[in-house]
Amino acid sequence: MERSKQKQMNQNENETDAAINGHFDGRVKIPGWSAGGAAGNPSTAPSSSVMESWREERTRSLEDNEMSLPSIAAAYTTILRGLGEDPQRQGLLKTPWRAATAMQFFTKGYQEKIIDVLNDAIFDEDHDEMVIVKDIDMFSMCEHHLVPIFGRVHIGYLPNKRVLGLSKLARIVEIYSRRLQVQERLTKQIAVAITEALQPAGVGVVIEATHMCMVMRGVQKMNSKTVTSTMLGVFREDPKTRDEFLTLIRS
Amino acid sequence: MEYQKAAELNGLCNGKIVTEYLCRNGFSELTVDAKKVAVQHKNETSRKEAEDESRLPALEEAYTTILRGLGENTDRQGLLKTPLRAAKAMQFLTKGYHETIYDVLNDAIFDEDHEELVIVKDIDMFSLCEHHLVPFFGKVHIGYLPSKKVVGLSKLARIVEIYSRRLQVQERLTKQIAMAISEALQPVGVAVVIEAAHMCMVMRGVQKMNSRTVTSAMLGAFREDPKAREEFLALTKSA
Repeated sequence: MERSKQKQMNQNENETDAAINGHFDGRVKIPGWSAGGAAGNPSTAPSSSVMESWREERTRSLEDNEMSLPSIAAAYTTILRGLGEDPQRQGLLKTPWRAATAMQFFTKGYQEKIIDVLNDAIFDEDHDEMVIVKDIDMFSMCEHHLVPIFGRVHIGYLPNKRVLGLSKLARIVEIYSRRLQVQERLTKQIAVAITEALQPAGVGVVIEATHMCMVMRGVQKMNSKTVTSTMLGVFREDPKTRDEFLTLIRS
Repeated sequence: MEYQKAAELNGLCNGKIVTEYLCRNGFSELTVDAKKVAVQHKNETSRKEAEDESRLPALEEAYTTILRGLGENTDRQGLLKTPLRAAKAMQFLTKGYHETIYDVLNDAIFDEDHEELVIVKDIDMFSLCEHHLVPFFGKVHIGYLPSKKVVGLSKLARIVEIYSRRLQVQERLTKQIAMAISEALQPVGVAVVIEAAHMCMVMRGVQKMNSRTVTSAMLGAFREDPKAREEFLALTKSA
């Protein structure tokens, strides 16, 4: 897959994002099954740029999930005791396993690669008007408190002779959101993935989400929403395009 | 030992008191049982706040294990303090174990010659599913028919807080709120309706985004008199 030079995109700020979610260069080893266990030190390993993100190594497989389930379940039992509950009461008997499986589901984005999801659904189409898929429900986990984030994602792009299957946009959202995330990073990762896959003239991603860590605890503001956006290419440079996109997602 | 108490605390409605009540099917009998329940409440060993601090390291370690088991790199900047934050968040979300009804209610019961329906509705409620440890949240509507005693309105919301900030099942939560109010005030009737969205159904499993679970507990006059129930339900219906 050739890497085209994207002059309109600012590559420098993307580079640190690669190391942050810890999975792009495949150097993260899962400590449970390697002797000595500590995860790779970020400063010594080479950091690949986000531009290679869809060549990322899959760091978690179904076997990994099965192998780590007992230790995660044991951790949840400790948590239940630590909160003062009785793990032996009927309602809580299988909770550690259910909670562990649930948590693995909420982070299943680590098991998937963009390249698996997209490869077949890129079509050559002589279309250069804006394509928008909006109101994509998104569920993620706050990486700071391990509490859910949920909201909607609106994606728009200006194709450059290549269009993407529409559901693939939603699948890209799924892959990146089912991880321990920060909303800003999630927005950028989605935008960059689409850029890499299609080399469109421009991409715009807007996420509007409610953070349970703000609603259920801490400041406890029930109705607050966090909105982040990433505009790349023509969407960044041309205000009219951006306006059209923002108007269309609002309607 | 304290674990047993906490289980009793949350499991109160699964136990003897409720079944006795249901058998007798009359509200006035509850006053006889109320003394039994009152004694049980005073014996509740609620988890002390000082203990929270001492339990934090074990919780942190458990969360670190979980993060590693999920394949994440616990040394990266965003995750460095996450075990501590997650442990504190979880303690906050289960702080209802700390509190007892008597702490919250004792001063705010007033003698008032009022026998008409009192409703406090749209109380935001956030709880944790005890099966998956995932939040469920929604609104609680409470109504009661006072019998010469009214309670401070915010105390109804505080009762909701106490019982919802625990590992819960929505059915049990509804019943516990209703029982607490009936025991504290001995009113003519109590009605509690909870409408909630369960993240364990929305974010995983069946993944039905718009589904809501509604449970209700009707005690006393609300159970026996259909008109009273109708009035309550009509008034709490949001347009």
